[in-house]
Amino acid sequence: MKRSSSLNPEEVPIFNGMKKLFYTLLLFFAASTLHAQDNATAPSYGDRLVVGTIGEPSVLIPMLASDSASHDVSGLCYNGLVKYDTDLTVIGDLAKSWEVSPDGLTITFHLLPDVHWEDGAPFTAHDVEFGFKTITNPDTPTAYAEDFRQVVKFEIIDPLTFRVTYDKPFAPALTSWGNMTVLPSHLLAGKDITKNELTRKPLGLGPFSFKEWASGEKIVMEANKTYFEGRPYLDSYIYRFIPDAATLFLELQAGNIDLMTLTPLQYSRQTDTDYFKKNFQKFKYPLFTYVYFAFNFLHPYFQDKRVRQAIAHAIDKQEIIDGVLLGLGEPATGPYVPNTWPYNPDVKKYDFNLEKARQLLFDAGWRDTDGDGLLDRDGKPFEFSVLVGMGNSVRLNTATIIQWRLEQLGIKMNIRVLEWSTLINEFIDKRRFEAILLGWSIGLDPDQYDIWHSSKTGEKQLNFISYKNKAVDELLEKGRRVFDVQERKKIYYRMQELLAEDVPYIFLYVPYSLPIVSSRICNIKPAPIGISYNLPKWYVPKKLQKNAPVP
Amino acid sequence: MIKLPQTTQALLKNPLALSGFIIVLLLFACAVFAPVLAPYDYKEVNVRAILAPPNIHHIFGTDELGRDVLSRMMYGSRISLAVGFVAVGIATLIGILLGAVSGYYGRWIDSCLMRLVDIMLCIPSFFLILAVIAFIGQSIWNIMAIIGFTSWMGVSRLVRAEFLSLKEREFVLAARASGAGDMRIIFSQILPNAMAPVFVSAILGIAAAVLIESSLSFLGLGVQPPLPSWGNILTSGKDNMETAWWLSVFPGCAILLTVLGYNLLGEGLQDVLNPRLKNK
Repeated sequence: MKRSSSLNPEEVPIFNGMKKLFYTLLLFFAASTLHAQDNATAPSYGDRLVVGTIGEPSVLIPMLASDSASHDVSGLCYNGLVKYDTDLTVIGDLAKSWEVSPDGLTITFHLLPDVHWEDGAPFTAHDVEFGFKTITNPDTPTAYAEDFRQVVKFEIIDPLTFRVTYDKPFAPALTSWGNMTVLPSHLLAGKDITKNELTRKPLGLGPFSFKEWASGEKIVMEANKTYFEGRPYLDSYIYRFIPDAATLFLELQAGNIDLMTLTPLQYSRQTDTDYFKKNFQKFKYPLFTYVYFAFNFLHPYFQDKRVRQAIAHAIDKQEIIDGVLLGLGEPATGPYVPNTWPYNPDVKKYDFNLEKARQLLFDAGWRDTDGDGLLDRDGKPFEFSVLVGMGNSVRLNTATIIQWRLEQLGIKMNIRVLEWSTLINEFIDKRRFEAILLGWSIGLDPDQYDIWHSSKTGEKQLNFISYKNKAVDELLEKGRRVFDVQERKKIYYRMQELLAEDVPYIFLYVPYSLPIVSSRICNIKPAPIGISYNLPKWYVPKKLQKNAPVP
Repeated sequence: MIKLPQTTQALLKNPLALSGFIIVLLLFACAVFAPVLAPYDYKEVNVRAILAPPNIHHIFGTDELGRDVLSRMMYGSRISLAVGFVAVGIATLIGILLGAVSGYYGRWIDSCLMRLVDIMLCIPSFFLILAVIAFIGQSIWNIMAIIGFTSWMGVSRLVRAEFLSLKEREFVLAARASGAGDMRIIFSQILPNAMAPVFVSAILGIAAAVLIESSLSFLGLGVQPPLPSWGNILTSGKDNMETAWWLSVFPGCAILLTVLGYNLLGEGLQDVLNPRLKNK
């Protein structure tokens, strides 16, 4: 689960996450491509894929990382036990099969035999146990422990079989084993995981193995020749960090980058030329991410529901989608994305209506008594700051539009742009903010206990707005204890109604992911889970392979 | 001492100085009358006209939120002028004080102050500004103050040099003989005679301050949205260089013209005010 940090439009994701979801799930997809299918060349080994991004990874052990860049790279080194298939069903990854007991309280996993770490050591249930113990260790600085703390017993039955037991039914149990838990115990046992060289030089068992990290420049990965699903076609995967969207785009045009995420402007205004149609394939699909405007409930102005509702009425979501995303997104109404089963389309909506907003503010005691154009109450003007992460022009423009609309209500909203890690560590974690513009990436399971439950308001915990609602608490507790989808659907529908009434967040939009890939890369098969789930199967036909030196 | 009527007359005869003066005057007009002249509200978002090229409705086109670039530039000129004048005001004030004290008293006071100047000159001021902004936060007032506090050294050297020669002159001796105190001699006898080069350097300094403010805003560390500044319009120009040239060209030209205007005016003033150059 993490905050969507990236500078590009929201990449990111994961909630009860699965690695394969990092590039996000998709429901619709549109590819405009003049693909070289007629080449009909057979898949062949060789060539490289250069991915350009704005952010540099921070740490390459998945459970320690909270940024998308780290997960992108470490996800290629480590696999999970299960993963999502292209149709969003759960299938085995490192686990060959599993049995869930009739009461749902125990799961027995059978691991794939003959899987080896890159250094030749066999992969066994001890590696899973080690990962599990590390992630649930209170000393491990991870944001992903909650799902695994539900496990009361972890037993190894034989080197390739283990069983986990829960004391209460836990609906996200199976999917939670999709990620974060496998670590090479023969290298890490007894060592401090945060100060280990594996944080910068991972040794895994995934499709690509780590080669080199040139700080501030790139990470180079090479095909893992002994990968258990067969070696990837591409010889290497290079991850370049270019912290400026315009430079990144120029590098793409120059052919020095094969894959990047476009901004909405680049997608709709700058990549329709013949050059781009000939050399690149564009994709478009909704991300499992929503962007929201959150209120700090510790701030006196925002404790009044009417004020939050008034601000919701003053924000025109469609204007933001048209103006900032150029139509490449959908309005959000709750913490789930449209067209997924927990999504409730019929919650209370706040239409753009400044009159209603004014009335609500008036009722809440806000009026302009001194004629300075700003609303005031008890002598204090309605002025606050919203925090935005640096470098994300989409978010900054969103904030600018909101600022302009609120000014028409007589509310002065200042925009404070902060460097990402400062924003998280100094402001969000310490609750030093009034309002914030941020995104959440979500997984397929609707359990959002960590974000909304009133017990999760402590420092560093994810209910950083300090939202407390007993009814929501009960629903969250109930929702994770039921396996039946229809039953859960009712619970989460109700929760969305409560959230819509309370407006702890103003849910703004669900952006589209807009990746662009060089047309020499073949076998990209867009599916509801994105494009990169079959990265090891991507190839470049022999004729089109580049022999140029690595940039 | 600067004699205004003669100076103005001489200035008007110097074509370069005159053109500089006119540019500066026009900019002032833009800044002062921005609310009247600007065709739109600089904050007004229009999602139906995003990145529109220059046309009848938007002479300089629109930016990525559909805001009118001309209106934003007019309001931006206020920022540039304000930063220029306030920053240079601060710098000149500090420069005059330290320079005068240093030049007038000499000896160890002079040595200490001039070493301080040397130290300040050693530090690349742009990076110093970046570092200070990181600590105290970015706001228009902070930027004015920081630019001021990091650019007084030139002025103080100029003033010191003038004081060194002027304090030996007869009129100073006369003043001292008639019982004037140090303060009186510094401020009412020597300083007025030392103002000509200070005035020139201040005008040139405005150009430098405008450039620094634009650079800071370009880097996103200057003026905060929604306040427009030429620098932050240029930033969006950089991101849309290939499709929206108007976002780079117009604010770029505005910065160029402003800096050129102040420089021409400054150079012209120097010619006019410096008697040694007058006879060439």
